[in-house]
Amino acid sequence: MNRRRFIATTSAAAAAFSLPAHAAKKETLNIYCWSEYIPQSVIDAFGKQMKVKVNVENYASNEEMMAKLQAGSAKYDLIQPSEYIIEELIKAGKLEELNGANIPNTKNLEAKFTKMPHDPEGKYSVAWMAGNVGIVVNRTKIKDPIKSYTDVFQDKYKKRIVVLDDNRELVAWALASLGVGINDITVENLEKAKGVLEKWLPLVKLFDSDSPKTALLNGDVDLGIVWNGEGAKILEEAKKSKRRKLEFEYILPADGAHMFIDNLAIPKGARNRDVAEKFINFVLEPKVSVEVWEEFPYTLVNAEGVKLLKPEQLKNPASFPPAESKLETFKMIPAEMSAAIDKLVTDLKNK
Amino acid sequence: MLLWMAVFVVIPTGILMVYSFCERGQETLVSYTFTFENFARVFRGTEIWPLIRTILQAAGLGLGAAFLSEWKYRGASWREWVSTVRSVGIPAFVIALIWILWSSLEEVFTGTYVRIFARSVYYAGGTTLLCVIIGYPVAYFIGRANPARRNQLLTLVMIPFWTSFLIRTYAWITILSESGLLNSLLQYTRVIEEPVSMLYTPGAVVLGLVYTYLPFMILPIYGSVEKLDNSLIEAAFDLGAGPIRAFQKVIIPLTKPGIIAGVLLVFIPSIGMFAITDLMGGKTVPMIGNVIQNQFVGQGRDWPFGAALGMTMLLMFAVAFWISSRKRSGEAVMG
Repeated sequence: MNRRRFIATTSAAAAAFSLPAHAAKKETLNIYCWSEYIPQSVIDAFGKQMKVKVNVENYASNEEMMAKLQAGSAKYDLIQPSEYIIEELIKAGKLEELNGANIPNTKNLEAKFTKMPHDPEGKYSVAWMAGNVGIVVNRTKIKDPIKSYTDVFQDKYKKRIVVLDDNRELVAWALASLGVGINDITVENLEKAKGVLEKWLPLVKLFDSDSPKTALLNGDVDLGIVWNGEGAKILEEAKKSKRRKLEFEYILPADGAHMFIDNLAIPKGARNRDVAEKFINFVLEPKVSVEVWEEFPYTLVNAEGVKLLKPEQLKNPASFPPAESKLETFKMIPAEMSAAIDKLVTDLKNK
Repeated sequence: MLLWMAVFVVIPTGILMVYSFCERGQETLVSYTFTFENFARVFRGTEIWPLIRTILQAAGLGLGAAFLSEWKYRGASWREWVSTVRSVGIPAFVIALIWILWSSLEEVFTGTYVRIFARSVYYAGGTTLLCVIIGYPVAYFIGRANPARRNQLLTLVMIPFWTSFLIRTYAWITILSESGLLNSLLQYTRVIEEPVSMLYTPGAVVLGLVYTYLPFMILPIYGSVEKLDNSLIEAAFDLGAGPIRAFQKVIIPLTKPGIIAGVLLVFIPSIGMFAITDLMGGKTVPMIGNVIQNQFVGQGRDWPFGAALGMTMLLMFAVAFWISSRKRSGEAVMG
């Protein structure tokens, strides 16, 4: 995923000291969001229209954002966590309730992306975009049918595979391939997952959550398990490329795929809650949501926005998975289980 | 000076040390409960026996080498024996040790994190060695050039620093990838038929590290070479030394401070480097820098454990530095 680009880590560190003190006249909005997920044009347009000074800081993973929030060193007005992090934040009482009256545009959202299990009453968060994790195959190099995770991790594709550098994802795929639910993270199930990952990990050439499309498009690898936004970009690029013949396919694993929903939320103690709510309302405008989608083609959650898309845009299978796909979101897991996952994958990578 | 030390060294290290004895909190990052668990985890799974066996094997080879080289003077005195062990045995021991580690790192270091440490030392050591081999002639050439040329050449060394380090690394990615410049060139000139995997290999990591840190080797050595007194070299030649002997006995000892500074400047940052191993190595074999970074801003999210890893690395350096400085002062006394 482009947004998880490494540069974000460094720029976030550099930006850490740059939050200005409360500006006296002009209102300010301090956004802490994924890198490459909110287009600059949208931020500029909002700033101009509302006469607000917008400061943006980026992060490259949910965990990085949580570390920053927990360290409590900076004050943000708006954050952009994934669903399982929202659940964790609500439980810890770290989010402000949203004032629905300030955000009438929530009506534009597709019904299934409101009041989701991580925030059943929709009191704390508003969906930004959804996505999933699927398989990308370079069809100029690989002709065999690829349907599931097990089809990807075959000995003949040794060192031709890129996967997300995300331990929880890896474990989820291993569990799905065994027919175990991706949220059933128990000690016994991790032991089972270990047996699978032991065989899988040595086949991987590259772990990359930032921009796995680069290695796929450059031909350094032929198979990938990546975010669908990356997949959609690859399909687009392949169509555009004239010099080399490129043909890619995006496949949702038959054994079950992970779906994620990223949200906008206001952290406890935010100073500019009104402005943050104005921003949420602004990006829920159908036109604005399409502007975001065109730059970052994940799954658009804005029903009114979807109506504005051209038919061929809706056909991108990476952005819009078929309705019958087997998709599941991550649930929050206890800290000791995420530590166990981290240990498991670190041990295996060092075998 | 004291204030400076306090702000930049004592306080950060102190925080690190306090954290390393804490527990990971459920809702906060650090909960202030005293524990040794983090350090225990760093060393967990490490068996002592393979380590001892390796050292004994290497020592045996070293002694064997010393014994063989002394074989012809069978009646050698005890003093001569000691000096042979020093001059032949110890280098042979070091070479044997490196060789055994090279061929079976996984069997010698059994604990995950200790193995990561060892591997990082290995990569950083290789990088440093390559930097010396490449950097020394360059620095010597620049240092011996006439003063007007010298500044131009130094500017050439510095130019890459004008671009962001990340951009330079991404440039290497475009050069080394399978549809990249180098592979295209080799295919065009018919040297190879099919593209070769160069990116995301250990070789690419070392290349990236050498490229990044080479100037840190060149500059201090250049500083020493520039100060080199020509008359001393001429004196060596006048006294009958050939070019190799003059280099070995005069030039190297006189530029040694530069080499040591360069080695430290290259070795220490490259052991903790995580960006290059991430971008050019494909993250398949984590280095210690990656592991620490992962504990702080990555998915590990265990600050106390990250702090313990950092402290271990710091201690390792401190011990290495202490040994080497003791050795050097010992040499000075004997010399």
